[in-house]
Amino acid sequence: MSDTTNKIIPQFLPPKELHTCMGLNSCENKGFSGNNDCAGQGDCSTVSHPCHVLNECKGQGGCGLFGTTKEFCHPGENACKYQGSCGAPILASRFIVQGPNKGRSVWQLARELFLKRMENQGIVVHKDKLPVGQEYGPTDEFVAARGGSSSCGQSGDRYCSYAFDNRDVSRYKKRQRFVKRSARKMKNTEKNCGCDDK
Amino acid sequence: MALSKLFEIPPHITEDNFEEVMHQAIALELATIPTYLSTYYSIKRAQDQDTVYARVLSQLPAGSEALAEQMTLDILVYANKSAAYIMSVVIEEMLHLALSSNVKTAICQKAPELVKIATKVKFPTQLDGHRPEFPINIDKLSLEQLTVFLQIESPNTFVDPGQPDEPDTPGTPLDYTTIGAFYDMIIAFVKKHYPGPYEPRPQLLPDQPFYGQNSINTVYYDRNHKPQFGSEDDSGVLRHVVDAPTAVAAMEEIIHQGEGRVNDDEAYDKLEFDKNGLPVPLPVKNGKVQFKPGDYDDNTKDHKGKKELSHFGKFMEIYSLGVHYQEKFKGYNMKFFDELVYNQTVNPKQSEYPEDTALSMASKMGNALFTYIILMVETCYYKDEDTQFKVFMYGIHKSMIWLLSEFGNGMNAYTFKRDDTVYEASLTFEYYDFSKDSASPKEQMIRMANELAQLDSNWEWLLTDKTYLLALPDVGLDHSVKPNVPEVPAS
Repeated sequence: MSDTTNKIIPQFLPPKELHTCMGLNSCENKGFSGNNDCAGQGDCSTVSHPCHVLNECKGQGGCGLFGTTKEFCHPGENACKYQGSCGAPILASRFIVQGPNKGRSVWQLARELFLKRMENQGIVVHKDKLPVGQEYGPTDEFVAARGGSSSCGQSGDRYCSYAFDNRDVSRYKKRQRFVKRSARKMKNTEKNCGCDDK
Repeated sequence: MALSKLFEIPPHITEDNFEEVMHQAIALELATIPTYLSTYYSIKRAQDQDTVYARVLSQLPAGSEALAEQMTLDILVYANKSAAYIMSVVIEEMLHLALSSNVKTAICQKAPELVKIATKVKFPTQLDGHRPEFPINIDKLSLEQLTVFLQIESPNTFVDPGQPDEPDTPGTPLDYTTIGAFYDMIIAFVKKHYPGPYEPRPQLLPDQPFYGQNSINTVYYDRNHKPQFGSEDDSGVLRHVVDAPTAVAAMEEIIHQGEGRVNDDEAYDKLEFDKNGLPVPLPVKNGKVQFKPGDYDDNTKDHKGKKELSHFGKFMEIYSLGVHYQEKFKGYNMKFFDELVYNQTVNPKQSEYPEDTALSMASKMGNALFTYIILMVETCYYKDEDTQFKVFMYGIHKSMIWLLSEFGNGMNAYTFKRDDTVYEASLTFEYYDFSKDSASPKEQMIRMANELAQLDSNWEWLLTDKTYLLALPDVGLDHSVKPNVPEVPAS
């Protein structure tokens, strides 16, 4: 579970559970590769679809890029087919585009909601056992190694950089700033969503 | 090319012609959507940075690497920002279409006739009754097209130097000088003659996930690749029209989003033309356009200091930046807009595309999809909330975000000739008449997709991916709906 290289990782088929991203599986061996030890330790999504209203089933919508403020509070929690507000998998660099959580990480919110669901069901999740370097969600490179890609949007590659020198370094730094800022704001993000649902 | 009038109505609002006036208001909102969409699809929104850099560098003197980097950013950021702004306005125009339709439905007790209006929207068109009248085209992004956008959304009366001052059909349509003035006349009439409460009828209601102010398509990245958002969170919502105050609120929202909140004591920028007949741009300092407080659609203190430019303000920003960059690139013998816009031409027609080609079939399919979207919106005004949800989310969202955009962005893969000049093709936004065939509109579109896929295998996904075209609800011309999705579970 510590492999973050770019070598191609095959999906375990058929998947034992359908979920939207890394760290959102409910049990052992239910991640993308089918070799994880526990809940919340899967390496990637077991479903893949490009975006808004294209998900096949309940709980398979990612979110963040198309939808409403309320929908953006429920990544991976849609009630039915076609009701997801964005694609899966949910990359670390994906941000919410609407509402008080605008500009913050989708994956981190999805992970918090998942941890709460597991806690409510009495399922133990070892929070620190995500793949090395993927603690804030799967990176583009990590997902690409598992056959996935970034999803939706006509505004361009949100992980690209306009930097002309050291572009990879610049990309990495910008992503790190984004995910760490989102992590610092998570309590407030959850609060915003709670208020929205009342 | 002769201007096409949407329709003509008597010169004053009366109870007898109020329904026609609201029909005009809805037509006005509907006519702007293909205009703005055509320009949106003309923009090369997300070009590869290295490719642009190499192209720019090749046009500059030796040793201009730093300048080429700067000009590459000028192109990438401007293209993305212009597209994000135009899309944010398109979304709000869709909202305005629903708001004006809600007002008509509530007061006139009749659903909006959107398909009937669509049959009459032919480009070039005009805002009927607007003084001065001016041609509205579907066209690529340019300073000329942005001038038209500014005229549509202008908060002030202006004189169009390219057109005669006197209307060519004096006294026939309801006269107004700006869209805001038009709605002001309706608001005054509603307050006096239609206090309500109105009998309930189906409307598109708030608290449904129909309209999101921002999406990833209204986002652009600044020069530091930081995401910027085209709309504020509170930039507008659907309104349930039940009486005069709610009808007025719906129409005031349209005015504020389009023209800005113009208070008597606030300065705002106006549309003024220079001696060459071009709009006077706003000053640009350090790459930023300088605005006045009244250019925002809501700048009151109770909105926590958040500001959003009105449609006019957004268009003035990209117009002013366009003038700024055009001058800058001209200094290096480069045409700024050629670097970010497809080589498309004004008001293309389906009849110009050679028959029995993939181009012709793709254009036909694009027109059918656009007409189908209008039919679906109209159908919502005949249905209960549950059916509205299915039609809107699984029909309109899928069609707008995924299907129409694929054709809007994909048409430039084809070329055609007009007057011996080769252009990249674009959507023609012509009404598609589904009534000529006994099959349902959806069945007709699937048949078209079959023909298109045979002509160009790039479109096979329309038939092989079940979640797009094949999953649309089957909406009939009689507003019947056959959902192709599972029932929504009771909450």
